Amino acid sequence: MDSNKSLLESLDAVIADAFADWNIYSTLITGGMVAFLVWSFVTSRDPDIHPFLLARQSTAFPVRKSGESAPYRSLETPHGFPLRSGLNVKDPGAPKWTTGRKGDLRDVWRAAVRGALDDEGKLTGKQGKIYTVLGRKAVEHSLDQVTQEINVIGRFLQEAKTKTMAVCLTDSMELLAAIFAGAFYGFKVVLIPHNLKAQDLSTLLQRAQADTLIAEAGALDLSLVAKNNRQLSQVVWVAKVGSRHMDWTEVPADVKGSLDVTVWHDLVDEKRDLAGLEVPSWDASSPSPSVTTVWPSASGVGEFIEFQPENLVAAIAGLLYSLPRNQRFHSNDLVLSIDSMSRSYPLCQIMAAIFAGASVALNSVAGEGVDFALATVGVSPTVIIASSRTMSQYHDKFMEPHSGIISSIARWLQVRNLEAGVMPSHGLFSQLANIGPTAELSLDKLRLLCISHRADADPQDRLTCGQLTDLRIFTGARVVYALTGPGVAGAISQTNVYDYRRFLGPNHFGAPLSSVEVLLTDIPSDEKFEGKITVSGPAVISGTVILPARGHIRDDHTLELVA
Amino acid sequence: MSSSDGAEVMSIATPINLVLLSLFVVTVYFQLRPKTPATLPRSPPPVVFRVFTPTTLLEFNGQDEKPVYLAVRGRVFDVTPGRNFYGPGGPYENFAGRDASRGLAHQSFDLEMLTEDLKGPLDDLKDLDADQLENLQGWEERFLEKYLVVGKLVAEGDPEAPKS
Repeated sequence: MDSNKSLLESLDAVIADAFADWNIYSTLITGGMVAFLVWSFVTSRDPDIHPFLLARQSTAFPVRKSGESAPYRSLETPHGFPLRSGLNVKDPGAPKWTTGRKGDLRDVWRAAVRGALDDEGKLTGKQGKIYTVLGRKAVEHSLDQVTQEINVIGRFLQEAKTKTMAVCLTDSMELLAAIFAGAFYGFKVVLIPHNLKAQDLSTLLQRAQADTLIAEAGALDLSLVAKNNRQLSQVVWVAKVGSRHMDWTEVPADVKGSLDVTVWHDLVDEKRDLAGLEVPSWDASSPSPSVTTVWPSASGVGEFIEFQPENLVAAIAGLLYSLPRNQRFHSNDLVLSIDSMSRSYPLCQIMAAIFAGASVALNSVAGEGVDFALATVGVSPTVIIASSRTMSQYHDKFMEPHSGIISSIARWLQVRNLEAGVMPSHGLFSQLANIGPTAELSLDKLRLLCISHRADADPQDRLTCGQLTDLRIFTGARVVYALTGPGVAGAISQTNVYDYRRFLGPNHFGAPLSSVEVLLTDIPSDEKFEGKITVSGPAVISGTVILPARGHIRDDHTLELVA
Repeated sequence: MSSSDGAEVMSIATPINLVLLSLFVVTVYFQLRPKTPATLPRSPPPVVFRVFTPTTLLEFNGQDEKPVYLAVRGRVFDVTPGRNFYGPGGPYENFAGRDASRGLAHQSFDLEMLTEDLKGPLDDLKDLDADQLENLQGWEERFLEKYLVVGKLVAEGDPEAPKS
């Protein structure tokens, strides 16, 4: 009892002594601590997404075959339900409760011309625009004008009995119009990358058995191409604004008679009044022709991947709905692609943007490896579509070396935000962070970066978690990172737009899109799920494709590539 | 004397200040420390699809906490979620680990509905009438809706059967 009392007493004495020393510094420290707690309470926000949704991002089927992993699917399309296979297009006059058609590229264009819908499905009368970016200058085209060109070119080639049209253009309105002309007027479109040697182009034309070629005036040696391609009967040159005064209709002597040469803008000028501004009507049950892209291969010029319209619409819908509702493309967006439309991911993303009624900017320099800073001047986009090579080069050459002390501190603070699952807002801090690395860019409105990585690309180009975090902080935009493979339209899988988690090493590629199902085959043992990435579903050309790349399913059910 | 006392009072290095400072540092650390992302426990590993013969299927009858499997027209269903019906003590317990096709077609749980000879060929169900086949069809559809197909049943000696 006594000792107890003395213990309490001495404790009391110690505390009293300690508080007796209370002075102005104590008050300051306490004040600072309270201020800090209040500040962190006031500035704390709920994470953008519940952390458990990121902890398991796809569903695995509970049964697997021996030597394979279980099939994995997007959370949107659980096992036992059909995968997403179309755009759910509802024709006017169709009963409300019926499910829509899958649709095809024609529906994409009609949706764009009809304009954006509001939340209740009523027309807002707001139409997107198409821009062609040439260096610092952006040329604006209204959708009606593009429709007109689609009609002119489509009818002209239909009369010329075109069956397969090869398009070898830089990204531009003309390329887009040519793709839609093929869909509306019934000829196959083969998209050929524009920077090929004449010899390679000629080989590809021969393999595609193209009877029509649309190419840039003066960009290729016609006599060489024509000599090896006897089936070629039509050439349409697209002349740049600066060189339209020249006469491009000259035909090399040795193919005179068998080859017709015309110029795009002459055709459009001549037939504009006949063509009309109406989107051609079509029978919904009539098939629309395929679109073929070239998948680059290490040896040779690459292989053709022929996408049927079903594959494309499945991929477009898959990409469109992989974003949560308030992150999706909408009519106020300006979507800039700095990756070539002759690749399926940018193609499908652009189509998704057009379908959603967004404005689209196509860059003439677009490609797999471009200068990010140069390619984004000219317009102020809200969404950018780029390749992993472009972004990793930009990060290594500009972002990393140019960040100073202020941006490092701001970065450190923003990483805390990202770790709490909150996207830092475009505020004072992000302005600070932007001082060094991205000062020269016109990215004030940027909200989303869509980056794609080819499954067989150079592992050097694979982006790390750190790089993606830097991109988020310094551009102030959310990032989605997708894995693409030959034979799969759009993408195989894509990261969740709210997934800011940081790990060591290369970033994962998220969960499968709702248009595909992913499993790993040829796994070495039952413990380690690592094998060839096998993709099936409506977005895959022959139903199922096995990629040469090996993948691994992580514990959070996301896909990553094995080095 | 008093002036030096005053200096002592205004010192920052008093015990109370040290306590407060370290408290501050701890609060800041807990607010700003690196956080690891949330994780969920691993889901149970998927069942491997396998080829059964009547003999190898037999052990999956729900005894000793084993899963309950039964076969319908060559498809092996995992009916463990319906253990109360198909497991030991349930009304359908005779079907556990067996080919249940004939029994379901006849709506009968009797032992004579089961194929006696486990080494013999599978029941070909050729003698069923239209009603019974419809019955079986109905059961099969319900099973496909509710339960997972975890394997395939073949007769002993079938080329697909695993070598024991």
